[in-house]
Amino acid sequence: MNTTILLLLSLLTGCVVLVLLARGDSRPCRIATPIVFGLLVLWIWQVACVGYHVPFVLLPPPSDIGVAIATHIPILAVDFRQTVLRSVIPGWLIGSGTGLLAAIALDGSPFLRRGVLPLGSLVSAMPIVGIAPIMVMWFGFDWQSKAAVVVAMTFFPMLVNAGAGLAQTSAMEADLMRSYAAGYRTTLLKLRLPSALPFVFNALKLNATLALIGAIVAEFFGTPIVGMGFRISTEAARLDLGVVWAEIVIAAGIGTMSFALLSLLERLVTFWHPSYH
Amino acid sequence: MRRLLLAAALALGLSGVAHAADPLTLQLKWVTQAQFAGYYVAQAKGFYKAVHLDVTIKPGGPDINPEQVIAGGGADVVIDWMPSALAAREKGVPIVNIAQVFQRSGMELTCRRDSGIKTPVDFKGKTLGVWFSGNEYPFLAWMNKLHFSTNGGPNGVTVLKQGFNVDPLLQQQAACISTMTYNEYWQLIEAGMKPSQLVVFKYSDEGVATLEDGLYAKQDEISNPAMADKLARFLKASMEGWKYAMDHQAEAVKIVLANDTTGAQTEAHQTRIMSEIAELLVPDPNGLGYLDVAAYNRTVEELMAGGSAPVITKKPEGAWTRAIWEQAFGKHPIVAK
Repeated sequence: MNTTILLLLSLLTGCVVLVLLARGDSRPCRIATPIVFGLLVLWIWQVACVGYHVPFVLLPPPSDIGVAIATHIPILAVDFRQTVLRSVIPGWLIGSGTGLLAAIALDGSPFLRRGVLPLGSLVSAMPIVGIAPIMVMWFGFDWQSKAAVVVAMTFFPMLVNAGAGLAQTSAMEADLMRSYAAGYRTTLLKLRLPSALPFVFNALKLNATLALIGAIVAEFFGTPIVGMGFRISTEAARLDLGVVWAEIVIAAGIGTMSFALLSLLERLVTFWHPSYH
Repeated sequence: MRRLLLAAALALGLSGVAHAADPLTLQLKWVTQAQFAGYYVAQAKGFYKAVHLDVTIKPGGPDINPEQVIAGGGADVVIDWMPSALAAREKGVPIVNIAQVFQRSGMELTCRRDSGIKTPVDFKGKTLGVWFSGNEYPFLAWMNKLHFSTNGGPNGVTVLKQGFNVDPLLQQQAACISTMTYNEYWQLIEAGMKPSQLVVFKYSDEGVATLEDGLYAKQDEISNPAMADKLARFLKASMEGWKYAMDHQAEAVKIVLANDTTGAQTEAHQTRIMSEIAELLVPDPNGLGYLDVAAYNRTVEELMAGGSAPVITKKPEGAWTRAIWEQAFGKHPIVAK
């Protein structure tokens, strides 16, 4: 009974504060609103779990998750190294890179475009749970097979987005280049690729999320005994949900940070785009 | 009108007299296979019906953890191995062993002869595969006993989380993999390897065996007299099922195959499993399902002797009970051999 009252009061106060904050337009107001919202969610979670005696194996409260993070930093660091540094980043770079190169190759050849696009769509539609064991058989248990899964997942989004970006050069700009006697290669390098950059960044951001998911899920299917996916699956089986949630928090943090970094890079590189004016 | 009312009253009365079967859900530790023949046989031959039980058998699988299922209320009784059950107890899941079905361990480490391994000392510096999800505890305890770190390096062993297949050995990605005497070892033979190409280390021979398939229920269910009665009836009928399965193995295999909804199991493989499993339930001088306390204590000692990383940190209290077994069998245990 007391828990319910506390929860309702907190919700009420929190909503009132948020509404007031959202009205303000100053920079501190804009930063404070998501922070307050996040803290409110954590508070409600903590009170509900502790007050209603939710079993630890079903949903641990944020305080237990915080303790799990603090006491398992060496393990979390090793898992981060194995999954993010050795599987996600190489896979993401190779997948996006080959997708971009493929898009440029397809741009120059209608024959390739008609042949490769459906194949690319087929590869990207294959479920991870199907590809992962096959990659383990081809590339072994270590990070190579996880990177291979990430490549398979990130190739097609980049191919499609970069292809769309290259195709959308407007007639006026193409005519201008022609009036400068610019050949295919010069037009490609100086006009079409730069104007395709917003699309490329779109794909890079999308691929960052896919890469993280792909690497973690691929680790469920055979890995050396380090890695975020390995840790999640084995600690869940051992009912040590604190570590599972710690890994989830880390993964969510990495996903958010990579999105923010890519957005920053995009802003620096495509400063000329109308959306930034 | 009066005749109608009389007929209705009679019908209600008669239906009350007929004893309704009590429902009970059993969660298996793995997929439908002859490892659980006793329960399928008990269901098919009507042993559960004879004790007024309506048993639902839920097959397990790679991501199904019996302790999680019972903690979440998905089953009334589960099949589990003692090490992971004790570890779950320490994590706060109040499960209790009500019967020990397998008296002997079927776990072994199978190595390629061409990896140069002749004795466990040769594991140093090699890559070994082990399942996780509750099956890693006996392996970790053994590595602790051999003083090998599991973090790799030339003085330890590199451990792989193997999937539920034998590919790592076939593809030479590991020098040794975990196998059960009744299942994966025969998958290797069926895949074309010859026994002369393999070196097998049985956990029971190495003195590191732990108790395997047993029946577990939650503490509060056991304390409830009505539920304890259901569990006792279930235990009696299940052990009758096991005795029948061991004496009529071909028929048991057919029953198991009939219950396999995946269609993935073959008669040849299940026949092999059945004959190997039949050897794990015996010797049972005190009757099927009787927990030998000495074996239980050996398992506990082994799990606690982990050095820096023991599987359990303190001696379990109240982790097993013979009350249900005694209620089921009393002075008339079923002895198979």
